[in-house]
Amino acid sequence: MRNFAVEEYNFYPSKPKRVAKNIGKSGMLDALEKMLLIRHVETRAEAAYLQGKVGGFFHAYIGQEAIQTAICAVFEKGDLRPWYAASYRCHALALLLGVTPNEVMAELYGKSTGNAQGRGGSMHLYTDRMMGGTGIVGGQVPLAIGAAFANKYKDIKAPAICFLGDGAVVQGAFHESLNLAALWDLPCIIVIENNIWGMGTHVHRAVAKTPIAESQAMSYGIDSYTINGSHFTDCYAAFQEIKEKVAQNSRPVLVEVVAERFRGHSISDPGLYREKDYLSSVMHANDPIVIHKNLMESCSMLTEEEFKALEKKCREKAVAAMKFAEESPEPSPLELEEGVYA
Amino acid sequence: MSEQVIDIRTALRQAIDEEMTRDETVFVMGEEVAEYNGAYKVTKGLLDKWGPKRIIDTPISELGFAGLGVGAAMAGLRPIIEFMSFNFSFVACDQIISNAAKMHYMSGGRFRVPIVFRGPNGAAAQVSCQHSHCVEALYANLPGLIVIAPSNAYDAKGLLKSAIRNDNPVLFLESELQYGHTCEVPDLEYLVPIGKAKVMQEGTDITLVSHGRSIDFCKEAIKEVNASVELIDLRTIKPLDIATIIQSVRKTGRCLIVEEGHYFAGIAAEVACEIGEKCFDYLDYPVQRICQKETPMPYSKVLEAETLPSKEKIVRVISQMLRRY
Repeated sequence: MRNFAVEEYNFYPSKPKRVAKNIGKSGMLDALEKMLLIRHVETRAEAAYLQGKVGGFFHAYIGQEAIQTAICAVFEKGDLRPWYAASYRCHALALLLGVTPNEVMAELYGKSTGNAQGRGGSMHLYTDRMMGGTGIVGGQVPLAIGAAFANKYKDIKAPAICFLGDGAVVQGAFHESLNLAALWDLPCIIVIENNIWGMGTHVHRAVAKTPIAESQAMSYGIDSYTINGSHFTDCYAAFQEIKEKVAQNSRPVLVEVVAERFRGHSISDPGLYREKDYLSSVMHANDPIVIHKNLMESCSMLTEEEFKALEKKCREKAVAAMKFAEESPEPSPLELEEGVYA
Repeated sequence: MSEQVIDIRTALRQAIDEEMTRDETVFVMGEEVAEYNGAYKVTKGLLDKWGPKRIIDTPISELGFAGLGVGAAMAGLRPIIEFMSFNFSFVACDQIISNAAKMHYMSGGRFRVPIVFRGPNGAAAQVSCQHSHCVEALYANLPGLIVIAPSNAYDAKGLLKSAIRNDNPVLFLESELQYGHTCEVPDLEYLVPIGKAKVMQEGTDITLVSHGRSIDFCKEAIKEVNASVELIDLRTIKPLDIATIIQSVRKTGRCLIVEEGHYFAGIAAEVACEIGEKCFDYLDYPVQRICQKETPMPYSKVLEAETLPSKEKIVRVISQMLRRY
């Protein structure tokens, strides 16, 4: 096994200050608030899990927040809103697409007020354009290209965006989907979030070729991007370009965004495959929130007081969501068999 | 009302064509459905009429296009996905099972998956182990799926139209050996409701329950037994119309179930269990089954006939159950 060497990666050019200036203070603040909200909701939910209030699987996005925050900042404006499909690591995307912390937390608690009425849990969150949260690795990729197909069929110019992990790129669903999307010019953006680990297996023990997007896109004759996922501004600038490209040529794009996750694969993973010192150096160097905060400060867009106030606001929302979930009713056993069929 | 005599493949084609006319979100996707005119000619002529936007040839990529169909259904279309054989659905079954079947429930009712997967199921003529499996027992085990298996052109047309209009994932199982079967079908539009069995022939001595191609064996057998047989065609396997079966068995006191699929945990096993639970006091003879023996489908003609249900086997068991001959 080789060590993961970011040096071999040719990342999309990083121009943090220039991009920050273009986005402007309010856009940068908005992104900071969203990343903080994701972090606080997940941190509180982890605490609830450890108290036994949340069951099943729980996959935290901590360390990767900049990626989906940037993508939603780019795509969630205007009339042509995309379809989204995600892996089981889907709390952040739901929050970014407007699911309230209350709805997310209540779903984690398995309550009737949850996003999926307590039927889905942590891995299955939805909006009218978010097709999940899917629990089978790679299973969401065909769904996303199906949504892109539907848009093309109906002559709607919006793309579909699919998120998957590095572990999913070796599944057949990924390759069959890429072939069909390339063959039929489906407007979709397939985003591989390379968080380095497929559960406890390093990407270099699972994927034969890296950089992933660069090498795989070549196989299917489509464009690729490789982005440093710890930097909101890098993601924002790259996805702005990708958005324009897809709008122009209606072709699939394969994107690899690298950001090592800070937590275990799921909450029940003790993470023994990573040295403590190594992990703390990653967390120290790559925390997307810290990077974003430092950038804003260096651009005179943020004061310590403003940051503290934002943190407080997000923490309070997360705490309130726990209270909401706690006090919400359990689903009624009388409704168990409802909704199996539409 | 005027009638036409058409075969099953024509009935299926008419159903697709009528529903495509009625609803522009309906499209057909599968291997060889367009330029080749369908491996079994079900979609013959549809490309010429509807064009490549709605009649779509795919590469040999069942997982990919089945999943694409599920995604398209979630995004507002009504795909008809053809499997050249339902045995090829096995490489796509994660999409059918984990996404199509569970999506509505798992999403708290946010997403519907109105999709039809159709194609030939079960045995054809000596196509051997990997092309002959009956999939109904596998898929009917999954809450969220509808499973339909018509035995004649009338039901095939009316049920396929209902399936296309239904908001749930439907597996529509045909038989390669029955595509040429003809019967009278109304000229005017009609639907056959999902979830309703049909009493094909009334009788008082014994109830014969079957579906799909095995109905043909049952009909032949009935001609040879000296008994009043009530023949029930399930038509829809899931949801199962157990009420029609119960009503019949309470009248006849005897029931034989004939299924092309295997004995173990099959459709016949499910029907027999329901009868045991609901007709115990009415039975004059233990419920009997004739299913496919517990072997993969052998290539040899002799062995193929031996493992499948047949007219002879049905005659033998009915006679035994009625203690005649």
